[in-house]
Amino acid sequence: MIQLEQVSKTFRGSRQPAVDRITLRVKQGDICVLVGPSGCGKTTLLRMINRLVEPDDGMITVDGRSIAQMDPPTLRRTIGYVIQQVGLLPHRTIAQNIALVPELLKWPREKTARRVAALLEMMDLDPGEVGHKYPHQLSGGQAQRVGVARALAADPPIMLMDEPFAAVDPIVRVRLQDQLLRLQQTMQKTICFVTHDINEAIKLGDHLVVLKAGRMVQSGTPLDILTQPENDFVLRLLGDDRGVKILDQTRAETLMDPFADAAAQAAANGHRVQAIDPVKIALERMMLMNTDEITVCEGARPVGLLRWNAIKAHVHRISGGAS
Amino acid sequence: MNVIGFIRDNASLVLAYTGNHIALVLVVLALSLGLWISTGLLISRHERLAGAVIGLGNVIFCIPSISLFGLFMSVPGLGLGRRTATLVLVLYAMMPLVRSVHAGIRSVDGTVVDAGKGMGMTGLQLLLKIQVPMAWPAVFAGIRVTVVLITGIATMATFIGERNLGRLIHQGITRGDAEMIIAGALIVSVIALALDYAMGRMERIIISPGLQVQGGERPRVGA
Repeated sequence: MIQLEQVSKTFRGSRQPAVDRITLRVKQGDICVLVGPSGCGKTTLLRMINRLVEPDDGMITVDGRSIAQMDPPTLRRTIGYVIQQVGLLPHRTIAQNIALVPELLKWPREKTARRVAALLEMMDLDPGEVGHKYPHQLSGGQAQRVGVARALAADPPIMLMDEPFAAVDPIVRVRLQDQLLRLQQTMQKTICFVTHDINEAIKLGDHLVVLKAGRMVQSGTPLDILTQPENDFVLRLLGDDRGVKILDQTRAETLMDPFADAAAQAAANGHRVQAIDPVKIALERMMLMNTDEITVCEGARPVGLLRWNAIKAHVHRISGGAS
Repeated sequence: MNVIGFIRDNASLVLAYTGNHIALVLVVLALSLGLWISTGLLISRHERLAGAVIGLGNVIFCIPSISLFGLFMSVPGLGLGRRTATLVLVLYAMMPLVRSVHAGIRSVDGTVVDAGKGMGMTGLQLLLKIQVPMAWPAVFAGIRVTVVLITGIATMATFIGERNLGRLIHQGITRGDAEMIIAGALIVSVIALALDYAMGRMERIIISPGLQVQGGERPRVGA
């Protein structure tokens, strides 16, 4: 668990604090996304966690230990770090790049080699083909996957990711995001992720922290923030399609009318979605089938009916009039 | 004109001069690399020193070599000969070497250093594992310029008693003997080219293939 307590930072020569009294807790195994416009302090905040930036004030602890007491290089070797520009060492092969932290930790050579091969495979890269290449021979998407692999090399419990997917094209970005979510299901790392892209934040985050001019404007789950934006700034940040985003974050089961009896259950029509599917998926299917209702199932068992009217009313209730 | 004939007729003398010339250049090169590369590294870590040190190198480089030889010759303890010649040539090597090391280190992509630091590299590890290897191309360019430069300027050391190829050129001039001048100049050029070639081979071994331009494909550092 990472905990920030009233953390502030003002850079020399600047009157405005870059980070202003931020208190924040990142739970074990969560993806916490720091989101906000450029200059809001999100990168500074992230870089304070591995002491690339030292706070002027406040305290940061990792698993209860104050990081100010730790030796910075030692601390950093236990925290994965991924940046937008990737920052692969151009004079080293991909395998050598991934082996960087294990090398600093003086792992035996064989253990490192096995780990590098495993990581490349995990990232859908062919160890035999990519391992011996140099960074300039990779595409942007491949380089960023190597960047993630390098950060994961020594299996750090914490990962700091600073706009890691911002420089790759949209198609690759979606693929990298999906891959991260897939990996996270098994890895359960504690991840701090910085982005200016609210869609990315909502997609990846278990917890969002909205920042503006160094201050925390709002924090909560994506659904919390979508349904109860704190102010106009958050509302604008969420964009014009807030209702649709809410439907992407809402499970079909929450808006369905549960079947009262077996008879109603038997009458269920042929179009189905799973209870845990987002409403957006249900909506998509309803539009494709040109129908106003769809059966919600748990596995093979129909449990309720989701109606177009219920969806409409839900979005209207939450965001109608607010925007 | 018969340059080859001249060299053949004076083989032992030419050989001795050539040997002296190469010996001087190699000694100067060894000293300069050690001294000026470490100076270059030092000033890249202490940027406040950089201006002054590079400025000093520039000033020394702008002094005509013959006057510098003459000046140091008159310093007690130096006098005529190898010691003064070595010192002056090492001073000449300061500008190209210090400058290329400094420029090379500074040209290293900041995001790569940042990533290395974020991975937990110490200051020394950053220098040895990232900055120095990435600065090699620029440093090598400086070394190659220096080699050619030193080989040429070494001829001037003949005026303070060095018995090297400069002597052939100098005596050729006083005697109006073109063959002698050309013989001296030719051998100096061959030495310079040979050393440059050797450096080029070494460069290919030392500089990582990841930093070398391959088949028109430029390294995209950090992309």
